[in-house]
Amino acid sequence: MSRDLIVHLARFAGALRAGGVRVSTGDEVDALRALLLSDLGDPEDVRLSLRCSLKVRPRDERTFEALFARYWLGGEAPARARPAAEHGPGNPRPPPNPLGGEAPADGEREIEVPEGEELGSSREALLKRKHFDRCDERDLAEIERLMARLAERLATRKGRRLAPVHGRGRPDPRRSLRRALATGGEVISFARRDHPVETPRLVVICDTSGSMEAHGRFLLAFARSLKRVAKQTEVFAFNTELVRITQLLAGPEERVLGALSAAVPDWSGGTRIGESLEAFASRHLSELVDSRTVVVVFSDGLERGDPELLADALRRIQARARRLIWLNPLLSDPRYEPTARGMAAALPFVDELAPAHDLASLERLLPHLRS
Amino acid sequence: MRPEIRALQEAMAREGYIADDAIATALLLAGDLQKPLLVEGDAGVGKTEIAKVLARLRSTELIRLQCYEGLDVSTALYEWNYPRQMLRVRMAEREGQDATQMEQAVFGRSYLLERPLLRAISRREGPAVLLVDEVDRADEAFEAFLLEVLSDFQVTIPELGTIRAEHVPYVILTSNCTREIGDALRRRCLYLHVDHPSLEKEVAILTARVPGAKKALALQIGRFLRALRARRLMRRPGVAESIDWAQALVRLHVDELDLVSVRTTLGCIVKDRRDQHDLDEAELARLVAEARQEEALAS
Repeated sequence: MSRDLIVHLARFAGALRAGGVRVSTGDEVDALRALLLSDLGDPEDVRLSLRCSLKVRPRDERTFEALFARYWLGGEAPARARPAAEHGPGNPRPPPNPLGGEAPADGEREIEVPEGEELGSSREALLKRKHFDRCDERDLAEIERLMARLAERLATRKGRRLAPVHGRGRPDPRRSLRRALATGGEVISFARRDHPVETPRLVVICDTSGSMEAHGRFLLAFARSLKRVAKQTEVFAFNTELVRITQLLAGPEERVLGALSAAVPDWSGGTRIGESLEAFASRHLSELVDSRTVVVVFSDGLERGDPELLADALRRIQARARRLIWLNPLLSDPRYEPTARGMAAALPFVDELAPAHDLASLERLLPHLRS
Repeated sequence: MRPEIRALQEAMAREGYIADDAIATALLLAGDLQKPLLVEGDAGVGKTEIAKVLARLRSTELIRLQCYEGLDVSTALYEWNYPRQMLRVRMAEREGQDATQMEQAVFGRSYLLERPLLRAISRREGPAVLLVDEVDRADEAFEAFLLEVLSDFQVTIPELGTIRAEHVPYVILTSNCTREIGDALRRRCLYLHVDHPSLEKEVAILTARVPGAKKALALQIGRFLRALRARRLMRRPGVAESIDWAQALVRLHVDELDLVSVRTTLGCIVKDRRDQHDLDEAELARLVAEARQEEALAS
């Protein structure tokens, strides 16, 4: 087995990681085994083998292809890789960052430590009532932690399988018979099983347009914490276009916001609520929303497009979902009446219109999310 | 390309499946590394067909596990044959056997009903092809349960102990991406993403799968579908649909696409009321013209 090949593969995997592709050591082992079976003289064979064994998904394809061209076709071909002795097993030298930039090593995180201040209960209470648009960076870090705690209250993780229960439920032959052995094969009482309480299924659709900018980050943070506890949560962002961001939220903290603004076109731009919700209704409604799903829309309802379109989309979503909740940060203003064109059109199809301007208001939302 | 890959492609083509290099490489690797292959892609791009063709190629049994929400161990793995166990217990009673003996007898292999996963593992005649279809429909707890089976190819039954695979089966998992598959499962598999086919590939598939289809018709169908898939649709038609459509057109003795034949057979490829509504006469005429115009340019 060629050591050069191993070193080269490890460098390539490192470069993929630096480029944001998740590659585990197990993937590298698979890739090496695949390479040993492949024809190393044939670049196409090497490319396809690597793509399959490193489990490259469509969204990572570009990064993979660019780095593949660099590492396996261009300058750093395996044959020309520097001799292994230079960085022997005991003394591995970090491979040169192929992207040229000074990207921090994977796993190295910037953790914001609030100076001297412990998260005390009075401060906590204050934060809960603090308007999102008046919070600064430091408040944000603390609020995100608070949110995670809030969302944990949702963590009533229960399966959908049949689980043993007392009393009512369907007969469970396996356990009944097992029990019957104790009484000489005579089934005296049936063991029963039933579906346990279901976990919440959520679909969160966030408005990230300019008018929502101050709130957008907090609401996304909330969506993120919800995602952590209720596994079946799907998150979308929209302003002029709808983008599914569930997978982006899974990354490490500091990378998420950057990835989001890259993925969502026109981040903090104008809004087309109607078209975005219509896009959601046509593309995702049938697969993501069923009668157990709660759909949450975060938006101020300042619609510039056709309110008819918005009303139609909401009607379709409401018909399928268990509940449709609309969170509107403007509601905190006592003078506000939901008369903005979009909001007025939306009202008949919304099960619940609630404020979302501070943490306390989000907290009140939690009971509605439990299905 | 390695000769093995070419050979595999040709063999699959003989079975009526046109596999591009990526598919053939992935299949070959999955066999060589003895790892499951996770195939993702839109509905109808031929993911399930890969497993069927593989089973025919290896002339072995195809064992299929269709996933759905709430799928549990007793449907996927094994179940005890309760009625038989009951009978046995009754008979034992009459003969006056003691409880330990009876229990040993009742929880033996012969009272075990094998469900797909267990059957795939315990097949004696050689490796089977195990198709775990639409794994994204099952819930996450089931995914976790698949891990033991797919990484070690063994199954633990409390009453019997651990059953190891006689032959490691070829495992193919498919997913329509309605839900993200967990990383733990993903890591145990090799990965293949199947896209909608290129025009050449689709034409090759149509001519291979629909005996009566002439090359010209296949080309027009391919172009029509390519234009159709580029539109915003609720459901994008896959290759399965285009094969159905070609068969329908051949059956109706249509040699060339025209507005009437497309309109009457539209149900083969557009299976949503809204989509059908959006495709009005003018729009269809444009698509048909597009499918035929390039014909004129080519010749």
